[in-house]
Amino acid sequence: MERLCPVCNRRTAENDALCAYHQRAYLNLRDKYDQWKTALGISWNEYLREVADNPNTGEWVREVAQHILQREGASEVSQPTSF
Amino acid sequence: MGKVLVICEKPTAAERIAEALDERGKPQAFREMAVPYFMARLGSLELTVVSALGHLFTLAQRRGSWTYPIFDIQWVPAYTVDRESRTRNFVEAIGRLSVGAEEYISACDYDVEGSLIAYTILRYICGEESLKRARRMKFSTLTKRDLQKAYEERMPTLDFPMIYAGKARHEVDFLFGINLSRALTLSVKHTTGYYKTLSTGRVQGPTINFIKEREEEIRTFVPEPYWVIEAETTIEGKKYPLEYSEPRIPTRNEAEEVVKACRGAEGTITEINARSITQAPPAPFNLGDLQREAYNLFKYSPRTTLNAAEQLYLGALISYPRTSSQRIPPSIDIKNILNGLAQEPDYRRLTQQLLSKPSLKPQQGGKDDPAHPAIHPTGNLPEEKLTSVQSRLFDLVVRRFMAALGDPAVLRSVRADVDVKGHLFYLRGRQTEYWGWMEFYSPYMRREEVVLPPLKVGQRVSVSRLEAVRKSTSPPPRFNPSSLLKLMEDAEIGTKATRTEIIDTLFKRGYIVGESIDMTDLGFAIVETIGKYCPATLSVEMTRDLEQDMGLIQLGKRESDDVVAEAVETLKPILEEFKAKEKLIGVELNAALRVSQFKENILGPCPACRTGVIRIIRNRSTGKRFAGCSNYLKGCRTSYPLPQSGKIEPTRKSCPACGAPVIKAFIKGKRSLTFCINFDCPSKRGRKELGAAVSRL
Repeated sequence: MERLCPVCNRRTAENDALCAYHQRAYLNLRDKYDQWKTALGISWNEYLREVADNPNTGEWVREVAQHILQREGASEVSQPTSF
Repeated sequence: MGKVLVICEKPTAAERIAEALDERGKPQAFREMAVPYFMARLGSLELTVVSALGHLFTLAQRRGSWTYPIFDIQWVPAYTVDRESRTRNFVEAIGRLSVGAEEYISACDYDVEGSLIAYTILRYICGEESLKRARRMKFSTLTKRDLQKAYEERMPTLDFPMIYAGKARHEVDFLFGINLSRALTLSVKHTTGYYKTLSTGRVQGPTINFIKEREEEIRTFVPEPYWVIEAETTIEGKKYPLEYSEPRIPTRNEAEEVVKACRGAEGTITEINARSITQAPPAPFNLGDLQREAYNLFKYSPRTTLNAAEQLYLGALISYPRTSSQRIPPSIDIKNILNGLAQEPDYRRLTQQLLSKPSLKPQQGGKDDPAHPAIHPTGNLPEEKLTSVQSRLFDLVVRRFMAALGDPAVLRSVRADVDVKGHLFYLRGRQTEYWGWMEFYSPYMRREEVVLPPLKVGQRVSVSRLEAVRKSTSPPPRFNPSSLLKLMEDAEIGTKATRTEIIDTLFKRGYIVGESIDMTDLGFAIVETIGKYCPATLSVEMTRDLEQDMGLIQLGKRESDDVVAEAVETLKPILEEFKAKEKLIGVELNAALRVSQFKENILGPCPACRTGVIRIIRNRSTGKRFAGCSNYLKGCRTSYPLPQSGKIEPTRKSCPACGAPVIKAFIKGKRSLTFCINFDCPSKRGRKELGAAVSRL
């Protein structure tokens, strides 16, 4: 069955939960977390909020960050979440 | 008396050429079917100087319907294909004027396009025989001297290698463009019945792919945090910036440690290094350099710069602008040019400074063009008032030319190393020791001088301000028309004559928008679809190989027919695959088109309900357009009237007075208008009352 990206409703690739663009954005987001954690000592959720608020963040990255934050609601998650 | 037909590219050039060639300098002006032409006398010869209007002939499919693949093509008069083309009279007038000609001269601009313009006129209007009796004038400026020399030294035949290269380029580009564009357009039409012109081409494909790759990089960019130490010292009551030796500190803790250690401390100068750097003059402009500089300085688009430069060329003020060369050959009389420029008071002192030098050797750039030198002034001064764009560009070209003749500049830089509690800071100064060429180019230079007071090793300096500032890395910049042009140049795709037009087409098709180029959903969909079903047409390599083939034709090392035949063989399998998957492609493109059209119609957020958007809607029964809120079904009744003719564009701004969207309206033949969409906006009240009062009078 065809799966749709929960962020933008585009079709997803076979083994991915997101469309190609948001998948790439998500991988970048996950990869950079360690650097932010070392720099600021923040949790995954705090990191997502920082990135979502940063004016230099790419549009698709911001959409993914906001989507995860919305999905996780108030629960604090210290490690990267997967799709 | 022998009759000679001289063919020029544009009417203004024809007038200048006739004036230069007529022995009295006063040719007679006539009109044939409203087309201006000139009669000039030269010894026993009667020269009929007539102009084209750019290309009078173009390519078209020979027969058949609006489908693809199309490989059977022919050259036809442009007016038969383009109803708006004003070239019919030119074709017929040249036909009449060519009767009885014994010799033909191609005096079009000396480049591939110019050579092809004259060739198609001769071949399809004057007949095949005329090609054997045709000769070529080669010139880079429209000054009397250059034109007379070009006539005296005219080539014994037409420049066939250049013509064949141009012909092959047009034919290959036409085959790629018509087939791929029809394949895209028809995939949507056949699948959904909806018609929208979609296009791609041999150069368009790789260009839009560059933009897509950059846009993906920007949209998937995650900034990285870092800290910079901002510090200042005060010496003899004056503040100087202190630069920390590590430009970026990766963690907050490390940055705070530096601040903690150095706050309130004094530093000691441990070392002072001073050196002088020689900066060579810039090379004179080629077209790409001029377009970039004009964009950086004045924000002129490459198209604006090219158009203005062409007008300056036609006015015999500068040399031919469509050149790749950054070199001034020895054949150019620099002294004569400077003497001419010296007549202008603004340039007098500078030109005299150059003329007093023992020798005048211009700085030469790395790029050359066999057809034309770098863009340079002719030495003529404007006889009529120039537009502000032309005037700025003329000054830019003149000053760049003079700068290229100047001496190297000498810049002095000083760096004092300051130790503050084991942390190294730099105190930097920069000063111009000898202005050299920079004096000629000074209106266009941005140079900040920092003059340091006398310093010595061991001197104690205070740290008057110190803080760690958090920053984050930035994504790569979006392309602008100028940087995109540079990228195309570096990737060797397109030519100096076609690149500007290709960028214009991408905007026209709605694939890209904005000064800082952003890709639309439609643009993404086009590249994705082409990438999936005919990736070869996005490849830089294929385009570059074809460019190299054109170069080889020009050198006489390849046959143009072979290159065109190869292009056809490349296209055949691509189009077969496209046809086989037409339905899939059509569905994908249609979905993107719908999204893009929906977005195009959005003018801004609704000021009343604040959750909907104001968009352009057409009334189904009257066909009239208005703007209304997308939350109509949820109860929001906000709506505004719209002008019924012309194009409307959102500005992405809301009115500060009422919050309604601000739009830009383009009405044919009038200046564009930017205004708040709300007819009852408080900001318009005064004007409305005044308008009503005036109408009552």
